[in-house]
Amino acid sequence: MSKLKLLTDGFIKNNPTFVLLLGMCPTLATTTSAVNGLSMGLATLFVLVLSNIVISLIAPVTPDKVHIPVYIVVIASFVTLLQFIMQAYTPSMYETLGLFIPLIVVNCIVLGRAEAFASKNGVWASTLDGIGVGLGFTLSLTVLGAVREMLGSGSIFGWKFITGDGMLAFVMAPGAFLCLGYLMVLFNKIAKK
Amino acid sequence: MAVKSNLLNMSLMLTLTCLVCSAILGGAYVITKDPIDAAKAAKTNKAVSAVLPLFDDAQKGETALRDEASGEEKPYVYYKAVKDDELVGYAIESSVSGFGGELKVLVGFTPDGKIFDTDVLVNNETPGLGAKCAESESVFRRQWKGFDPKVKMLSVKKEGGDIDAITASTITSKAYTQAVYNAVQVFDALNGEAADAATGVSVHPKEGGQSNE
Amino acid sequence: MRKLIVSPSPHIHSKDSTRSLMLDVVIALIPAVICSVVFYGWRELLLLGVSVATCVLLEWAVTRFLMKKPSTIGDLSAVITGILLALNVPYTLPWWILVIGAVVAVGVAKLSFGGIGQNVFNPAIVGRVFLLVSYPSQMTHWEQPQGLFGVDAITGATPLGAAKEGTLGQIDYADMLFANIGGSAGEVCAIALLIGFVYLLCRRVIKPWITLSIFATVALTALIFWGVNPERFTDPLFNLLTGGLILGACFMATDYVTSPMSVWGGVIFGIGIGFLTMMIRYFGSYPEGVSFAILIMNAFVPLLNRWFHQKKFGRK
Repeated sequence: MSKLKLLTDGFIKNNPTFVLLLGMCPTLATTTSAVNGLSMGLATLFVLVLSNIVISLIAPVTPDKVHIPVYIVVIASFVTLLQFIMQAYTPSMYETLGLFIPLIVVNCIVLGRAEAFASKNGVWASTLDGIGVGLGFTLSLTVLGAVREMLGSGSIFGWKFITGDGMLAFVMAPGAFLCLGYLMVLFNKIAKK
Repeated sequence: MAVKSNLLNMSLMLTLTCLVCSAILGGAYVITKDPIDAAKAAKTNKAVSAVLPLFDDAQKGETALRDEASGEEKPYVYYKAVKDDELVGYAIESSVSGFGGELKVLVGFTPDGKIFDTDVLVNNETPGLGAKCAESESVFRRQWKGFDPKVKMLSVKKEGGDIDAITASTITSKAYTQAVYNAVQVFDALNGEAADAATGVSVHPKEGGQSNE
Repeated sequence: MRKLIVSPSPHIHSKDSTRSLMLDVVIALIPAVICSVVFYGWRELLLLGVSVATCVLLEWAVTRFLMKKPSTIGDLSAVITGILLALNVPYTLPWWILVIGAVVAVGVAKLSFGGIGQNVFNPAIVGRVFLLVSYPSQMTHWEQPQGLFGVDAITGATPLGAAKEGTLGQIDYADMLFANIGGSAGEVCAIALLIGFVYLLCRRVIKPWITLSIFATVALTALIFWGVNPERFTDPLFNLLTGGLILGACFMATDYVTSPMSVWGGVIFGIGIGFLTMMIRYFGSYPEGVSFAILIMNAFVPLLNRWFHQKKFGRK
């Protein structure tokens, strides 16, 4: 498979949010604004790429029966590393994303790609796959966050274009589900062409 | 998998993985410890400076006060702010049960007992209604600046006090007021202790305080 | 080989029969509409107009251009959704907010599911709840009716709102029955709504068991709780007359598409709505529970339809 295809597949054909329907929990919870969605996506991307690399390296020497705990320890370590970095250098975003940063450990996307791809392919391919899927995830989260922010707070990336509040439902759970549903329809319609 | 799953290999792999990961994380912890502490201190300073006038240093302290309603000892976190060795004021964290969950207010007092300002630390109120208490520019919040509990009554106007409640959010407004009331109690106790420490006499925290409900 | 198409009931067989049913519902709503315009004035008429127009227009546009089939507005269901939505909001609501509500009601709750017959949730209620969550301060801003005759407008809590905050004083039931209190039009014209309900019963458009089981459950639940603690809990008559209960029980819970088909299913549906309404009113964060209760029970309808089959023709 061409290496470039690995990258672009993660965007559309294998888009984790709108096609694979993975990682729904952080998707719905952290997309209250475009910046939050973007940060969450990038945080996941960081963990995804690094764990893909390491797992593709150690997979050949990992006994089959313990491969899940071993992978999880690796993933959890990268998440902890991410936590240290965010706490030290981006404290306000760390507070905003809160609980969902450690939850990256159990984000299906990470373990899913590790099992489905990284454990069976070489380092370079796994890296590209991680970047591709991670960027696809970041893209969906940013788009969803932007839509919710526009409808719910009347702003884009923090720049408000109305006074007062928007439709508050979109800043809360119901709006998240509604937006996700309609975006999924739109995405799949465009992707089919 | 190229490696067999016998007991030796499995134990070896797991142990090795954990050792390597812990080592790396230990290293990362050491490297990031200082920036993290600095970020935490900056955050506290930022919160406290929102409710008090300019200061150099804020020391954190903990105290406890008996809650009038339940009779239990309730712990309170406070910050003592000083500038050039002079007391600038106290910022007291006060937590109550609001409409949708915990409501934690930070109340800043100047030594004369007046409230310099308040800020919201934790808020679970309804967006668009009670959550307005977290908007520092709102009418509700602005009335707290320079509020003197010795002169004005700490309850909502509907109940004979001096506080303008948020429209359609009486419960949140009452909770906020209660949080401030509790903070006033704590301040009186702290101020009493400080004054007594200066004169060498120690007195237990008073109940009732100087404000009326 | 001809394909055998199997689809779940209910089947709407011809537009005419749906239309005549819906027409009866519109007629039944006329007393309440008149009552609300008399009490709230011209603004209520504006709101009704805006709501109905938006619903009808949206349904026409979507069915014609997106779904590419003949428009279904002739069956009058969009008109009913529009009327019900307008009766459920404060008369001071900015009209553009109502438009948003109408778009959500028809666009999201009805058309996105496939149009009439396919929706799970009552569209008018979905629209109303969406607005309640999105614009809470505008949606909870109740003024005393000014009417065509110019009574002074007073902003105040509705009886239910006051009960939730614990500031309810003396209750005057006559006032509530004949609309001297704050509240949405749906709340305020109890007699007018009941007249419409009786009309629908006489025309055999709806069967009484859903509505009656709702009223009975509300009364019984309130009786038990109020009996135990009259200070904290409001009494049965109060609960029957306030909030959107009458409007909800008579016109929204009985919507064909979103309610169970069988008798027992309907009774359980009604019991669930009544019980949930009271629980939300007594213990929940919102003062009014009918909307949420109906939506929750709507979700159970497919299950209730499965458990309680209609008797099949020819079976014993």
